[in-house]
Amino acid sequence: MMKFLFMMIFMIPLCFMKNMFWLVQMMLFFMMFLFMNLNLNIMCFFNMSYMSYCDIISFGLILLSIWICSLMIMASESLFKLNFYFNFFLFNVIFLLIMLYLTFSVLNLLLFYFFFEASLIPTLLLIIGWGYQPERIQAGMYLLFYTLFGSLPLLMGIIYIFNDLNTMTIYFLKFFNMNMYLLYISMIFAFLVKMPMYFVHLWLPKAHVEAPVSGSMILAGIMLKLGGYGLLRVMIFLQEVNLKLNYIWIIISLVGGLFISMKCFCQVDMKSLIAYSSVAHMSMVIGGIMVMNYWGFIGSYILMISHGLCSSGMFCLANINYERLHSRSLYINSGMMNFMPSMSLWWFLLLSSNMAAPPSLNLLGEISLINSLVSWSNISMILLMMISFFSAGYSLYLYSYIQHGKYFQGLYSFYVWFISWVFIIIFALISFKYDNFKGWFYFYLILNKK
Amino acid sequence: MCFNSFFFLFFFMLINFFFFVYFIMNGLSVFFEWEIISFNSMSIVMSILLDWMSLLFMMFVSLISSVVIFYSKSYMNSELNLNRLIILVLMFVFSMVLLIISPNLISILLGWDGLGLISYCLVIYYQNLKSYNAGMLTALSNRIGDVMILMVICWIMNYGSWNYIFYFDFMKNDYVMFIISFMIIIAAMTKSAQIPFSSWLPAAMAAPTPVSALVHSSTLVTAGVYLLIRFNYLLIDMFFFKVLLFLSILTMFMSGISANYEFDLKKIIALSTLSQLGLMMSILSLGFPDIAFFHLLTHAMFKALLFMCAGVIIHMMNDIQDIRYMGGLSLYIPLTSLCLNISNLSLCGIPFLSGFYSKDLILEMVSFNSFNLMVFILFYLSTGLTVFYTFRLIMYVMISDFNLMMIYNLYDEDYIMLNSMFVLLFMSLLSGSFLSWFIFFYPYMIYLPFNLKLMVIYVSILGSILGFMVSNMGIYSLNKLLLSYNLSSFLCLMWFMPNLSTYGLSYIYLNFSQILFKNIDMGWSEIYSGKGIFNILKNYSVFYNIYQMNNFKIYLFSFILWFMILFIFFFI
Repeated sequence: MMKFLFMMIFMIPLCFMKNMFWLVQMMLFFMMFLFMNLNLNIMCFFNMSYMSYCDIISFGLILLSIWICSLMIMASESLFKLNFYFNFFLFNVIFLLIMLYLTFSVLNLLLFYFFFEASLIPTLLLIIGWGYQPERIQAGMYLLFYTLFGSLPLLMGIIYIFNDLNTMTIYFLKFFNMNMYLLYISMIFAFLVKMPMYFVHLWLPKAHVEAPVSGSMILAGIMLKLGGYGLLRVMIFLQEVNLKLNYIWIIISLVGGLFISMKCFCQVDMKSLIAYSSVAHMSMVIGGIMVMNYWGFIGSYILMISHGLCSSGMFCLANINYERLHSRSLYINSGMMNFMPSMSLWWFLLLSSNMAAPPSLNLLGEISLINSLVSWSNISMILLMMISFFSAGYSLYLYSYIQHGKYFQGLYSFYVWFISWVFIIIFALISFKYDNFKGWFYFYLILNKK
Repeated sequence: MCFNSFFFLFFFMLINFFFFVYFIMNGLSVFFEWEIISFNSMSIVMSILLDWMSLLFMMFVSLISSVVIFYSKSYMNSELNLNRLIILVLMFVFSMVLLIISPNLISILLGWDGLGLISYCLVIYYQNLKSYNAGMLTALSNRIGDVMILMVICWIMNYGSWNYIFYFDFMKNDYVMFIISFMIIIAAMTKSAQIPFSSWLPAAMAAPTPVSALVHSSTLVTAGVYLLIRFNYLLIDMFFFKVLLFLSILTMFMSGISANYEFDLKKIIALSTLSQLGLMMSILSLGFPDIAFFHLLTHAMFKALLFMCAGVIIHMMNDIQDIRYMGGLSLYIPLTSLCLNISNLSLCGIPFLSGFYSKDLILEMVSFNSFNLMVFILFYLSTGLTVFYTFRLIMYVMISDFNLMMIYNLYDEDYIMLNSMFVLLFMSLLSGSFLSWFIFFYPYMIYLPFNLKLMVIYVSILGSILGFMVSNMGIYSLNKLLLSYNLSSFLCLMWFMPNLSTYGLSYIYLNFSQILFKNIDMGWSEIYSGKGIFNILKNYSVFYNIYQMNNFKIYLFSFILWFMILFIFFFI
């Protein structure tokens, strides 16, 4: 694991050189392929060195984060073309990647907390530094303080665990059973804010609307999954309290998922619609984790990865429209099928993945989440039906509003700006689909070995 | 692209046909299973079931789609993105095949969901507001069925696998099977546009006509019937099947009446499709799946042909679909009129055309078995209504004068369209007899009283006379309909079902979501978290600033006060 860490650290000087933008990006790709070929051990953790290790949960999420980071650089190539502090941008991304990598791979709960918080800083800098409107300051504050509000109790909880058990190794914590309400709240609340759960989701649409494309991609792709990762890790030593209290979060997140997916229908901003839809999907993930059965565990893991790929892809597409029309309003972005017919295919593929249409990985995740949640309670079937139905509704609403109908009459000139956007799309999205199949393949491997 | 796909699909049809003959002669069925994922002692498998039923259905689907692709070469001639249409149609055929061959619920979902999405893409193929709305209605109505299948997947997990055909025998009276059958029926009802969901089918006529010929008449809409045929063994005793019988008969009746009010050529055909779907569903829910399947196949042939004729006519009429502009077409375009008339008469069940074999069998089975009077009356009324609107259509389109413009361009020499129609013409002449020889090993034994036997003829004659009279109605008698305005608007608007599934519902939900967005996201949760805490903290800090900055004496005094309190605390 250390080798990848050093690879990333030694990429930092490269960021400050001239015209090394694409090199850094290609190096990240290269690193992803190296990481993908890591020797997978299904049953247990593997590749343990000093303080970091890797098991199947962290393996998938690390893979996802390297992938998303390289795609982020690719998608924000306009920074490079416009010479908009792209050196610092690259540095920021690499720093963020290091933090994410360490968050997913460290063995120690306190270090996990440390990197979990530290990954917030480069995200904040991305939003504040490369965002578009002045409201980005407020959005950054929302992002920061919502997360901090939950995570200071988390620090207390971790220190309490150390006092009590004299260990903070995540792997050993599964031998303990901590039956304490306050510890339970303090351990999971930070992650619930990060996911985000329904009532504490307000930071997410704000941050997405104000963030540049890279910020949106990393937020939707990885930052939400940090919360899910944390929950997957801490659920295991809180089993007894979980059985008593988990139903609260399931209910909040399922009802909230329904409400959120209904709220998607009154969004007129592409990015905020995608952000709300990701909240709705994350609510199902919370439900699946909180049900605490194997289907829910696997399903939430699969849906996290697939949603990370799919929603960041949609943000990338939204940005491609934004770069051409300088607006994210649905009214201005309509009728794009006439200008970019091949783009409408990508929109359709990604949105159909978002609504869990067949060949996508989301379908596998959603099926297993529905299985776990309905096995928990039959009544949740009604909510899940509505969520699933409305997810199709808003996905198609977005698709047909953007691609269909009359184009904006005030459109003065429209041209495909750089040729390289074709490459971005082809890379980002073919590889997205490829990743889907790769994902199916991995789950084929993982699940069959068990 | 067109010709390649045509040849590919035609070849696929031939393969299916040969295998169908082979399988049905030897009584074979082949079952493949490929295990994709297995965990928690459950396995997600991709399974393929090939028996005569799936092979025959695949043969019909591939035949119609090959012909339709061939046809759209000429029909969509000036379309810039013809390849997109062809690719979508091919994807449609692919997901249809996936649906047909899979006896496993997860692999059915693949095809089922794919059908919904691709039919959405096909409906919104033209870029106008009407097709936009129609596509949304289609996709969301079908999505209800998808969600139901998803839920069935999670209920059938109780049995440990998703191969539903294994559980029919042992688990038939299980509580879970009760729920499963309910959901399966709802899913099939959405796909086949039965009564609460039937408004999408006429709306989907916004699609290009070849697509209507393939998707909205013969294949997609019969997917629900096919699913129920597969599940028939489970459902046959269920209470919901009786409800389905009721709803499907009403669908048949409702669409038969609405078709008489309609003036849009494609919508009339769509409503007749709806009524035939009701017929299939009702005979299925009476317990005759093989007859339902038979009618499904023959109907697919002549209805696809009917749509293709309608496409030719629309093409020649400068894209006008209103039948009031047409008339006398039989004189100008004899070949197309031939096809149109044969398919129409086959729809009515005129003897020895393909529709006769299936429809007559259905009606005789209904008369032969003892069901209640309502079923009986509605069946025969709907049969009469079918003849009624068919004759009305023929009168409007074929007879009398041409009503459009002085200068017109009717020509019957577009041989790409005509050849593709002739293939289906041949099939709709012969498929009834050849299928009845193939798939029924022994004939149904039916004996009826003379008048009951001739009941079909009676209602047909009555219907044709009425159709003739309605088509000759003057403007005065049309105005008389306004006397019963409420009744006729109820009947011609499909019993207000479009209101039920579009603006009636969406207004409520959109209003509710607007209220939610305003009150929760921009209201309470903002007050209790972000903005509220910020305001409280800001106000307090301003308040303390007043203490600290403005009045130095108060500051010192409070310092002394604190000091005294501490003093008291520590020393007393």
